[in-house]
Amino acid sequence: MTVTRNRTDSARPDARPSADDRTLVDACLDGSRDAFNIIVERHQRQVYQLCYRFAGNHEDASDLAQDVFIRAYRGLHSFKGHAAFSTWLYRIAVNVCLNRVGGRSQKWTTLDAADQPDLREERADAKILRGERAAAVRAAIARLPKKQRAALILRVYHDLPHDEIAAIVGTSVGAVKANFFHALANLKKLLSPKD
Amino acid sequence: MKHLSRAEFVDLIESSPVLPPERARHVEHCERCRERAETIRSVRSMASADGMPEPSPLFWDHFSARVAEQLRSEPAPAPSPRWSPVPYATWAVAGVVIVLLISTVVWRTTLHAPSPATPAQLSAAVDVVSVDPVDDLDNDEAWAVVRAATADLAWEDAHDAGISAHPGDVENAALQLNSAERIELERLLDEDMKRNGA
Repeated sequence: MTVTRNRTDSARPDARPSADDRTLVDACLDGSRDAFNIIVERHQRQVYQLCYRFAGNHEDASDLAQDVFIRAYRGLHSFKGHAAFSTWLYRIAVNVCLNRVGGRSQKWTTLDAADQPDLREERADAKILRGERAAAVRAAIARLPKKQRAALILRVYHDLPHDEIAAIVGTSVGAVKANFFHALANLKKLLSPKD
Repeated sequence: MKHLSRAEFVDLIESSPVLPPERARHVEHCERCRERAETIRSVRSMASADGMPEPSPLFWDHFSARVAEQLRSEPAPAPSPRWSPVPYATWAVAGVVIVLLISTVVWRTTLHAPSPATPAQLSAAVDVVSVDPVDDLDNDEAWAVVRAATADLAWEDAHDAGISAHPGDVENAALQLNSAERIELERLLDEDMKRNGA
């Protein structure tokens, strides 16, 4: 018994989960929706975390992350492969977050207790203090100017190198470091107790 | 020695190898830079201590499914139009050929264009325009033809042919005179009136 293959399937780029991003993008452009599903599963965590840092709550972060992938899908043809796909995706995410979140005050919420790390050993007062400090930090970050906020979030919470941050936000490494410095200095001012 | 720059502060607190050792040692001698470095280092630590709340594992399955559902209504992304893989050198040659063609067309167009009028030609044209028709009437060839053709024409015959004056013709003719003609008409009328004792 011979197995006849569809000629188009054999000609399509590989859309396996082990394929690299460039190959998956080519498969998407060739018509494979499964390839983009793999891209989503591969990058959804980083995109969601970035959106959460900007939005401050789970619902908005989820909506933002969904929007990021929709925009990425529509603009796949513009990915030239000069930079890493993650850099390109981060750029879309930062733009979506800064445009949507902008100067709006964020609703900072915590997730359900089941989603929190197990801290039964921690004293109650320490837990409260930690929570309050975290909320204060997030509120202060939300008040930073856009470029400073982006530089701080990408550096501190995503541990991206400065040159990649520069590629994401479209500036120089020096400008990224300057924005990062100002972000930290402004955070200090915002978190300092008022006399 | 000058104080650390903003970028150098960042390199210092992150222990980046790009910061030259002598610059890193600056804080040992400069209290201002040392305090500043300590401030931003502590803020960075405080910010990084804010952990990322992790959503439920079910969230990720639902999330990718929601994205896939939304993409079903999206048109498939079209690949960007591919230019033919022509080397840049070929494009450069094509560009040069196009420029040469355009330059040739422009050159030939200007070569066969009528040459601009010389000053003598311009002044002659002005002279023709500025000739006073009243003064030159006796030498006007066209008027001479009219005079010759109408020399033997009787008024009655002209009237029968429709070449006659109608009420208002004099006024209409006067309104169509230019300023020089009007001045000359006034002069002739004054002379005639003086001659007749008016």
